[in-house]
Amino acid sequence: MTLLQAIPTTTAAPVQFPTLLLTGMVWVPAIAAIGLLFFPARTDAHRDRIRSFVLATTFVVLALGVLMWYGFRDQSGAFAFEETRGWLAGIGSSYHLGVDGVSMPLLLLSAFLFVFAALASSRVREQSRDYFVLLLILETGVNGVFASLDYLLFFLFWQLQAVPIFLLIARFGGPRRLRAAWKFLAIDLAGSALLLLAILILYFKAPVRSFDMVTLHDVALPATMAALLTWLFFIAFAVKLPVLPFHTWFIDAQAQAPAPVALVLAGLVVKLGGYGIIRVNLGEFQDAWHKIVGAVVVIAVVTVLWSAIAALAQDDLRRLIGYVVMSHMGLVLLAAASAAPVAVNGAVLLMVADGLTAALLVLLAAAIVERANTTSIAAMGGLSGRMGKGAVLWVLAALAAIGFPGLAGFVGQLLIVLGAYPGHRLATPLALLGVLAVAGVMILTVQRILFGPLPEHHGRIRDLGTLELVNGVGLVSLIVLLGVLPATLMDSINFSVITLLTRGGG
Amino acid sequence: MTLALLAAAPKGPLDTWSPTLFALFALLLPLIALLVIVAFTIDSRRLSAAIAFIFTLATVVCALIVVAIELAHPLHLERNGTFLTFFTGQSGAAQQFTLQWGVLADPLAAVMLLTVALVSLLIQVYALASIRREDGPVRFFSVLLLATFAMIGVTLSTNYFELLLFFGLTTLASYLMIGHWWQREEATAAASRAFIVSLIGDVGLLVGIAYIYFRFNELNFQALAGQYTGGKVGGNGLFIMSILVFFGAAAKSAQFPLHVWLPGSAQAPAPAAALIHSAGAALCGVYLIARAYALFHASPRGLALLAIVGGVTAVLGVLFTLFQDNLKRAIAYSTMGELGLMVLALGIGAYGAGIFEVFTQAWPKALLFAAAGVIIRELRTERMAEMGGLWRRMRFTGWVMVIAVAAAAGVPPFSSFWSKDAILSKALAISSAPAIIVIVAVTLVGAIALVRIFRLVFMGETARRRRFEPERIRDAGGRAAVAMAIFAIACVFAGLRGFRGRTDPIAFVTFPGVAVSNSHLVAAGTIAITAIAGAAIGWVAFGRRWALPGLEPIRGVLAEGFFVDRAYRLAAAGVLLPASRASGWVETRIVDGAIDLVSDSVAFAGQPRRWLGDLRLRQLLIGLFAGVVALAVITIVLAGRLIGKTG
Repeated sequence: MTLLQAIPTTTAAPVQFPTLLLTGMVWVPAIAAIGLLFFPARTDAHRDRIRSFVLATTFVVLALGVLMWYGFRDQSGAFAFEETRGWLAGIGSSYHLGVDGVSMPLLLLSAFLFVFAALASSRVREQSRDYFVLLLILETGVNGVFASLDYLLFFLFWQLQAVPIFLLIARFGGPRRLRAAWKFLAIDLAGSALLLLAILILYFKAPVRSFDMVTLHDVALPATMAALLTWLFFIAFAVKLPVLPFHTWFIDAQAQAPAPVALVLAGLVVKLGGYGIIRVNLGEFQDAWHKIVGAVVVIAVVTVLWSAIAALAQDDLRRLIGYVVMSHMGLVLLAAASAAPVAVNGAVLLMVADGLTAALLVLLAAAIVERANTTSIAAMGGLSGRMGKGAVLWVLAALAAIGFPGLAGFVGQLLIVLGAYPGHRLATPLALLGVLAVAGVMILTVQRILFGPLPEHHGRIRDLGTLELVNGVGLVSLIVLLGVLPATLMDSINFSVITLLTRGGG
Repeated sequence: MTLALLAAAPKGPLDTWSPTLFALFALLLPLIALLVIVAFTIDSRRLSAAIAFIFTLATVVCALIVVAIELAHPLHLERNGTFLTFFTGQSGAAQQFTLQWGVLADPLAAVMLLTVALVSLLIQVYALASIRREDGPVRFFSVLLLATFAMIGVTLSTNYFELLLFFGLTTLASYLMIGHWWQREEATAAASRAFIVSLIGDVGLLVGIAYIYFRFNELNFQALAGQYTGGKVGGNGLFIMSILVFFGAAAKSAQFPLHVWLPGSAQAPAPAAALIHSAGAALCGVYLIARAYALFHASPRGLALLAIVGGVTAVLGVLFTLFQDNLKRAIAYSTMGELGLMVLALGIGAYGAGIFEVFTQAWPKALLFAAAGVIIRELRTERMAEMGGLWRRMRFTGWVMVIAVAAAAGVPPFSSFWSKDAILSKALAISSAPAIIVIVAVTLVGAIALVRIFRLVFMGETARRRRFEPERIRDAGGRAAVAMAIFAIACVFAGLRGFRGRTDPIAFVTFPGVAVSNSHLVAAGTIAITAIAGAAIGWVAFGRRWALPGLEPIRGVLAEGFFVDRAYRLAAAGVLLPASRASGWVETRIVDGAIDLVSDSVAFAGQPRRWLGDLRLRQLLIGLFAGVVALAVITIVLAGRLIGKTG
């Protein structure tokens, strides 16, 4: 039966685009942020102008991302849109950007999520200029990490997003924002210090004086040195991921950050950790990585199970979302530990899917919390009578979060389980139990928030406004698209993952 | 008749039309209708209902065409069309692995497709009358369409993976249907429970699919069918696969001990409950077993597992029915008994008969729920103890109820008599004493239980309650009555066939290698006598509301559903929640405490926090960058020393 085979398979010849696209994706937000500093912000009209300007910026970045995505169709698995410019040549660092099938989907995710974050920032009235400046700097930092192929550059971008996040939480967050912000900063700086340490050790111990990932990847290191580096990199990334003992910054930040920032945190910043592990640990230090995999698997499984159990009794809606994201990132870690192509494919896909899902959850939770005037799940109930559209979206978001078939998270989780199982026959079923528990929690949460009688103390509750609806429907469309036709992303991810895993022997 | 003519033509359209094309239409039409309703007519009750009806009617027509083509040329697992690439990936050993969206139209799929489409259509007609303005009719019709789409998707899936996706959608649809009255605590609790049980089953199935994929590197039913017996996987492997696949099926089809969601599903509005129990979620599992029958057939222990679990479920189901006071729950439990019987039939190798039972049971079950919906709406109670004496007041409903009860109990010549006869014939043919005993016992007790329902509801006197006037009870009328009448006709004719050989309506559904179970007179006679005897016993025993003191304890146990439900709840409340609280304590006190200590020292012992809110952005940025640079310098120095030592 060849009814619809006219649908083109993805073998179109690669389109040539100007190489500045990637630089544009990274630096346009920063330039816009600098420009934004000169905008007046006294009246409401000024603030609206600032918002439109920021929105336009994020849309430009999205357009660049989509354009790159169209150009990014060759399936060689090599880096595309590479840019190498001299920069700090004396110490062997260069401005080296490039994307492959692992970073491209995440970069695209970032472009999408910042549009949603900017759209959702309509509530920020006080000091909105500062807020947007920080948000745009954050975008540069996130995109830069995904795009850099030079360790020093990677580290600088990595560091670049710590400050905006800290300030965004500390100045625009909830009632306990300072505590959350300092906690984030403390853990993040500790992680960054380890990252820097690892990079410097690598720099000094390698036979070539270079920071370039491509140059350094087949460099021969003594086994103990490689193991040390792998551990350092792993801890630095795992703190961001977040894994078990270091996850409280993330949960607190989820509870306290303003919704758009929480969106970026859950949707992108934690993905940087997963990306780092796949790119550096798996791609560059694979032999050493295989030696520490046992410990990593334990950490991953404990993270998944712990987040599931902690979610069970969690009464704070926003913290609950933090745990859900954390459990997914534990799965990503499990996949990275298994180093099986199928599982790593799944990890990348799950990160994209979870980014979209987390964004949707965070935005809807913010809307719900704002209306119910409480974050306590126990105090909510019966909201579906008052906000029907919100209820539909929330059910979809919950389903997407539990990896419901046909929605984005499913294929990713499935591939991880499929790929990780042969190597880890005990750990994978245990992680699956955690996934199941999270699913149960999400369903019961739906029941407790949306259904049942409406509590007396709820006053007038409006349904979602146009803007919230636009955000929600946009995210849901992406989630469904990715769930029904994951092939749109999978082909290019797959080739890059194979390349990354086969050349990563080091 | 026209279909027969079409088939008879020498080079008629049935020879040239592609069944998969029409199957695809049948699959997509409900989805299109759903999208149209959501996008355009969400505010109009009438328009939405009309769209739902028209599109489902078109689906039925497509299904009829598919069935006609399959009748003309029955082919097994050969009608397979793939349309969209779902996923291309690299399997473990660098060979390409592709999953595709597609539809499959073989006789089994065709029969189920027609059943689903037809039941859905009639349910919609019935729902037009029974779902009132305040019940959210547009939402209801949308969910019905979603359920129809999901069920058709399940029946037409070409591979395990696609089937799993549609299984998920079915789970969602039943969740939404059971929780339709979301203001009611018990409805939403039942919905959540159904969802979670289904989800657990889906995960089991997923693990099974993963296992199959690992061993065969293939998920397509058609390609897999011949491979199970190829010696690629040993007996134990096949047994594990069949356990896992059956686990998924058991959660969907309410096999013991995963049946806990089924009684709660009666919380759905009557039309939705009718759909779930006749052609909806509950039958998915049986269909999955039938679809994966090659796997079970290759593993004798897998078949034995089916037979044992099915038998236990059947016996428990009819016993629960017998002691249940809630009308809808009683019907739901009788579904459980029938589902057990179907699985038992598949387990003893009565493949065609098992499917036939699915087909013949769909109609009485839908009719029972439809009638129950009318009764409950008029009496405003679900307790059978408060009903009675309706025969005079609801003559039409009474008559269709008689037909439904007879058809479900296996009284000749109504529908399920023929299928039960076929199942018993197979059991006699393989002379398996336990199977014969279970089938006869289930038929007997099932007949007693169903007649009990009829007796309690329609005979005797209507119980007097406050603010309830029996005089105002009205019989079903209008569109609801039309739908019920059509169901009743189906109850009469769905099973009719001759006694010699397999000439029943779905005789073309066969499984290669499984002998068709020819009916023999002993079986037919036994079923007929058992069913009629059961009906008579029920009629006599429940003529008056005897209180049987000796039965009270048993009653307590069985009406509670054997406490399985309570055991699950205890496990959840007694183990998981405390663990969760403990983890919360550890987290805030120990993990977080330690980190707070660190972050407090970073924040200079908490003092400078006060000025942070007032600080200008620029100073803060400068300060932070300075801090970062300082930290970097320290790190570099430290790293230099460390490197100096190790190098």
